[in-house]
Amino acid sequence: MATGSQPTHFIRRPPRLGQTVLPSPAPGLARDEQVRPLDRLSDPALSELGLGDFLDELLVRVREVLSVDTVAILLVDRSSDQLVARAAKGIEEEVEQGVRIPIGQGFAGRIAAERVAVFIADVDHADILNPILREKRIRSLLGVPLIVEGELLGVLHVGSLRPREFGEADLAVLQVAAARAAPGIERARLATAFEHEHRVATVLQRSMLPRRTVAFAGVTAAARYLPAAEEVGGDWYDIFELPRGRVGVAIGDVVGHGIRAAALMGQVRTALHAYALEDHGAARTLELVDRFMQTLSDATMATAAYAILDPDTGVMTLSSAGHLPPIVIGAGGARVVELPPSPPLGAVPYGSCTETEVTLGAGEMLFMYTDGLIERPGTPLSESIEELRATVSVGGAAEELCRVAVDEFVPIDGVRDDVAIVALQNADIPLELHLRLAADPRVLADMRRGLRRWLRARGADAQETMEITLAVSEACTNAVEHAYSPAPADFSLDARADGGEVRIAVRDSGQWRSPRGTNRGRGLKIIESAMDDVAVDASEEGTAIVMTRRLGSR
Amino acid sequence: MRLADVRLSDEGRAVVAQLTGELDLSNAGNIGGALAESVPNSAFVLILDLSEVQYLDSAGIHLIYDLREKLRARGQALQLVIPRDSPANDALRLAGVAGHVATSESVEGALAMVGQEPG
Repeated sequence: MATGSQPTHFIRRPPRLGQTVLPSPAPGLARDEQVRPLDRLSDPALSELGLGDFLDELLVRVREVLSVDTVAILLVDRSSDQLVARAAKGIEEEVEQGVRIPIGQGFAGRIAAERVAVFIADVDHADILNPILREKRIRSLLGVPLIVEGELLGVLHVGSLRPREFGEADLAVLQVAAARAAPGIERARLATAFEHEHRVATVLQRSMLPRRTVAFAGVTAAARYLPAAEEVGGDWYDIFELPRGRVGVAIGDVVGHGIRAAALMGQVRTALHAYALEDHGAARTLELVDRFMQTLSDATMATAAYAILDPDTGVMTLSSAGHLPPIVIGAGGARVVELPPSPPLGAVPYGSCTETEVTLGAGEMLFMYTDGLIERPGTPLSESIEELRATVSVGGAAEELCRVAVDEFVPIDGVRDDVAIVALQNADIPLELHLRLAADPRVLADMRRGLRRWLRARGADAQETMEITLAVSEACTNAVEHAYSPAPADFSLDARADGGEVRIAVRDSGQWRSPRGTNRGRGLKIIESAMDDVAVDASEEGTAIVMTRRLGSR
Repeated sequence: MRLADVRLSDEGRAVVAQLTGELDLSNAGNIGGALAESVPNSAFVLILDLSEVQYLDSAGIHLIYDLREKLRARGQALQLVIPRDSPANDALRLAGVAGHVATSESVEGALAMVGQEPG
């Protein structure tokens, strides 16, 4: 063993070839002779620098104080279990070339693995991995670990071009520098990691929320998602079309924050959406989501509320799993809909939900929200809910109501917890219908939905609604087929009701074509059977089918 | 939201196709094509269950006639399930073709008619 050249009083245990493990100096040991240099390292002005400038300035001062030729900081890269050169003076190549040292190997690697100070008197006789140290002809090295709260961050080492015996005083200076550098590095590392997580979580959140609030026949909807100023959470909303022209609207809050909460939110939201499309009721849908959550290995809880609206009748079924009560806003003001308490999803085995039926009249609106909107330290929740109720009682369109809620409840500097809100309005039914529709078969289903609502509101019974809708859809189908041309075309539908008689006109700008084949013949037959009076007016300008039917006459 | 959906089940000699949702000009062509493809050569009959269809008009009636022709050309039969109080039956009645097509009140009835025990 080539240990002869090393000062014996530094040896704590049998060292490796050419290396000496240094014990920490006794407290106060180096103070007397190093007070001034140590002051240089603990200068409060250093704290005002950004991490890069801070490390640069610290290394310059270490080099001056210790009169060394090189000084370098290597940081732990946890993904590879290696040390990576981060800052250097005198051996800038180390950083430029991105030198990497496996933890446990070589000079720096050993300092990191064993968390001890190491002194190498003569590099030529030592186990050195970093070729730059040899190329630079560095003879003696001294290095210490960078540790914060028991966690290893990296290694700080100094080198001398001439053979040098680093003493306990030198070690003390280097350890002061290490103690000074470590917390700053840790802060910067956390900030970067945090920023990264925040960015990932935000992207995750955004990718899982509906890109736009779709317009469905008979309803208008608006929604907002606001991430917390510092962290993304597990809030979500969802609006979707259900079988038989109904609309589903959901809101929820998965417990927790950050990527994990955002990812779990995605699973819970997708589960709810999928079960909802299977056409289970509101309560059963939530129960199925609960069962789904019980199977997740990553145990979690969520509050959620789910509503199904039938725009034809205004009947809405609501169910809640521990979520804040929805608010219904109508002409007469706003009221909080207290739903029977049910446990949050994932909270108890086989939790059950109940259903509440509410009628959402034409023009009335359902408003749902998450706790991030109203929660304020020191204010009872019931008080905050009442405040929200009073705020949204001004009414207005769905979009306007979302804006008012955000304006009134979200502080200028952002929310502490993330916020989701969603408003669903059962659209007003006008006295007369005047629609311009694209000559595209896909408009037919929406047209029928709008027409059914209007017919009901005008007093048509179920059978009349069905028969008139069938006749008008046939007339519209005719108009769509008429417009069979490369250019986009449209047609109009006008409907009014006078003294118990419904009069509906469908006009297109295509040439009337006599029924071709039995298919179109059947369409005309259906119109004639379903309506009391049918007039087909075909001219150069286009074709109009005007149909009337007296309600309550068959 | 898809306007309509098709669910198929193999009942031995018969294939049962249950349609749900609404049938109109926008989807009748595609659904008719899918139904014609769904019947293997080994089957004798396609039972088309329209009891859960919420809307059907002349495009749907055209689908029925067209499908019947296609199956007939392959030596296969079409049996319809159209309960009396269903929207599909209303459309057939208003189009004046209610008596022109063979219908059953239920899938079980249709299976019995083709000599297949309900599975």
